[in-house]
Amino acid sequence: MTRFQNNDSDVVVVIGSGAGGGTLANELCQAGVRVVCLEAGPHLTGPDYHNDEWPAFQQMAWTDMRTTSGSWRVATDFPNLPAWTVKAVGGTSTHWAGACPRFKDYEFTAQSSYSAVEGASLLDWPITLADLAPYYDNAEIRMGVTHRHGRPPLPANNNYKVLANGAAKVGYKQYATGPYATNATPYDGRPASNQDGFNFQGDKTGAKWSTLVAELPKAGKTGNLDLRPGCHVAQITHDAKGKVDGVLYFEGEVLHRQAARVVCVAANAIESARLLLLSGSPRFPDGLANSSGEVGKNYMRHLTASSYARFEHPVHMYRGETMAGIVADETGLDVARGFVGGYNMETLSLGPAFLAAFADPGAWGPAFTEIMDGYENTAGLWIVGEDMPQSTNRVTLNGDAKDQHGLPVPNVHFDDHPNDVAMRSYAWQHAAELYRAVGAVGVTDTPPYPSTHNMGTCRMSADPTQGVVDRFGRAHDVPNLFVSDGSVFTTGAAANPTLTIVALAVRQAEHIVGQLKAGAL
Amino acid sequence: MTDPVSASLDAAEHQHAEPSRLLPDDAVASLVRVLKVAFPHRGFPDGPYERTAEHIIATAAASPFTTAQLGQGLVSLDALRDRPFAELTPEAAMEVLQQVQHTPFFQLVRSTTVVFMYSDREVWTVLGYEGESSDKGGYVDRGFDDLDWLPDPRIEEMRA
Repeated sequence: MTRFQNNDSDVVVVIGSGAGGGTLANELCQAGVRVVCLEAGPHLTGPDYHNDEWPAFQQMAWTDMRTTSGSWRVATDFPNLPAWTVKAVGGTSTHWAGACPRFKDYEFTAQSSYSAVEGASLLDWPITLADLAPYYDNAEIRMGVTHRHGRPPLPANNNYKVLANGAAKVGYKQYATGPYATNATPYDGRPASNQDGFNFQGDKTGAKWSTLVAELPKAGKTGNLDLRPGCHVAQITHDAKGKVDGVLYFEGEVLHRQAARVVCVAANAIESARLLLLSGSPRFPDGLANSSGEVGKNYMRHLTASSYARFEHPVHMYRGETMAGIVADETGLDVARGFVGGYNMETLSLGPAFLAAFADPGAWGPAFTEIMDGYENTAGLWIVGEDMPQSTNRVTLNGDAKDQHGLPVPNVHFDDHPNDVAMRSYAWQHAAELYRAVGAVGVTDTPPYPSTHNMGTCRMSADPTQGVVDRFGRAHDVPNLFVSDGSVFTTGAAANPTLTIVALAVRQAEHIVGQLKAGAL
Repeated sequence: MTDPVSASLDAAEHQHAEPSRLLPDDAVASLVRVLKVAFPHRGFPDGPYERTAEHIIATAAASPFTTAQLGQGLVSLDALRDRPFAELTPEAAMEVLQQVQHTPFFQLVRSTTVVFMYSDREVWTVLGYEGESSDKGGYVDRGFDDLDWLPDPRIEEMRA
């Protein structure tokens, strides 16, 4: 195990080991850059994981105290769980299912493409699809994404058979079992899927791409990675000139300092914004890199909703790759539907334990037991759509509540935008029609879960007054500070974010390496 | 403690506890009656309901206040109509629970049940869920694609 000195001021510190941080760390290590990667959670691996939803949740989820406010239903049903992300090595890449759509070109220019949307803080990205395309290729190849670059598709599982047949019946055409970052055949030293059906609980076999099984082991082999699990960063420090020079982190209850030449924040959108806000100083009174005031604002979580449909015959939706089924016909811009932006429909399955908790939170009585009694004959899909950024949807520090380290907890405030409400209503109705077309006898409209797609809290902008980071994820205010996760998304698009996070991390690593070689960092 | 996540996290910390004198002697039987009205699964045997009732009592035991609320709730259910809760028709019992559904007593019962009862292996069998699968090699050879009442769909993307 590589270990660099805490006073080694030549290392790059990467905070977080998930899709963004883990990929960035590997790319830097491959280029000869020495990296200290600080991960708040433990180093779990395949044998540790549970094929059982609540024990898996208790093992993996980020359950540090958080608070919520706003009119979103999560604040009522799960007031201390605004997001369902992971605190472990590999971050939320150990929990994601694997869906890998790319952004569409117009989704990088939402402000220009969507006519003014009242109440939304839309902004165009400072990069285009053409800028990102080569990095999308890189990301798809490294992740072994099915349907791309010659990688074969996954076979149709039962839940997909219902989705695809329903889609065809109602006239949709863009359905397939991917693109999906789990192996249909062995690839990159990892096995083919055994269709065990456990994705959100950690993948015991490594068939699914994650930084835990793909990026971090490769980085480790270079000798340039010092991966430190159980290390929770409390503050980023800076020198008299305003450049960051290290981080303070808790290992257990002991506070340490790690010096740094460059700091990259990839702690997932809630914690990344929280950390910048916690790193305020007399020089940065509103938080580090926050002269724009945009840190923590424009929090997005994707539209999300689910439909669970009951049939007269068995489905066994829980068997097989959870999200290996995508219908993309409702992506695209068509304001005749009553909203801007679009959405994907993706197969989804919960076990009885989580279906009971999430299908209709708070429900009981015969309407609830009907959902559960139909379990074996149930098919499910997830609605993933673009939600409108709003400056009032934001992560702030809660001055009253403290976490186990004595640090102010993040409060996540969220109100649906009317565009979100219109899209969700439309999507539920059309998902129900899809399922009824193949014989559904009952359909449940399930509201959003605690957020797994967390974005926008340190958004990219061309104009430093409108966002937190530039086109490479570098803080507008601090030349050697980068943000390397979904926080930088200027807008959210309809695509699941992981592929784009990975592509941006590869691109950012290339930029950092170039800057280091040029002596500019 | 009213949401399922908190209930789950609390339950993970408080696995074992002794019954309390703050509860009526027939607390388990009374709770089972409440659960069968609130979660009326005709296919469920008694076992899951009884285990859930015992788990609710064990969970409440972490706090004397919560135990007292549970005990008070069970006692007062018998006082809301002209006969004990156990002797009410299913419809009347349902009305009583609807009347108390926003009380801490019922929230405790509901949230704990949602988290606990649907992780019960006997419940999984009744519902047709097979549980752990990695140790059996997944479903690749055990029916991940055995649905036969619809035609096999295309798996490739549509050609442009």
